[in-house]
Amino acid sequence: MDESEDVPKDFIKLKSEKLSVDEVSELVISPYCGAVSLFIGTTRNNFEGKKVIHLEYEAYTSMAETEIKKICRDVRQKWPSVKHIAVHHRLGVVPITEASVIIAVSSPHRTESLEAVMYCINTLKASVPIWKKEIYEDEYSWKENKECFWANSEK
Amino acid sequence: RLPSGRRRHRESAAEGCPPRDGGSMRCQQVSVLYFARSAELAGLRCETLSVPRQITALQLWEEIVRLHPRLAVIRDQVVFAVRQEYVLLGDQLLVLQPGDEVAIIPPISGG
Repeated sequence: MDESEDVPKDFIKLKSEKLSVDEVSELVISPYCGAVSLFIGTTRNNFEGKKVIHLEYEAYTSMAETEIKKICRDVRQKWPSVKHIAVHHRLGVVPITEASVIIAVSSPHRTESLEAVMYCINTLKASVPIWKKEIYEDEYSWKENKECFWANSEK
Repeated sequence: RLPSGRRRHRESAAEGCPPRDGGSMRCQQVSVLYFARSAELAGLRCETLSVPRQITALQLWEEIVRLHPRLAVIRDQVVFAVRQEYVLLGDQLLVLQPGDEVAIIPPISGG
């Protein structure tokens, strides 16, 4: 067996079409890996008692891709056995219950991919220039991740 | 409302800008990008600005707020991204090259 044929890859995509869990997991599957770990971020229908109609996402696309690449590089430094990483984020309108982000990581054993997926989503929320607007019935709100160090802690 | 030569839209020709105190007199055309709430407050997504090559992040912010006063309300919540690196609104000296991208970055909410 020649594992050098299965070069570790990062698959990063920002797109307005519906995300596919099948597509993202298939990207990271490897014959050398016994584990694929997944995170799916979905849209909730409520926030502080208000009904959420849908979400809208926008991004500083070129910088977002660069920041996600940095996250992948960090993952490979912290968990060298990680094989493939896929991060797909949706932009534009995302209806309730649909996925806004899917992250998949493969590794020979499960611990590394599970930890790497958690690191990916936590770091994405802290550093990737993507913004979410929650649309309610009568108003809207730009959300702020608590991980973002330049957000106000109080509203 | 604005001194001529200080603000340029994409379709206008650049004329150069008046010298500033304490900074390089050479001006650069940079692209300013607005996102999320800052785009709503400024009323636009991008524009070309003539700024001194050496300017602090805070001075650049103040210049942008002069052009778009409604941005003042988010001053405590934004950072810049200069050539796609985050920069706090402070005394850091930015050395800008022609065509550099400067983005206004409100608090992020990806994921």
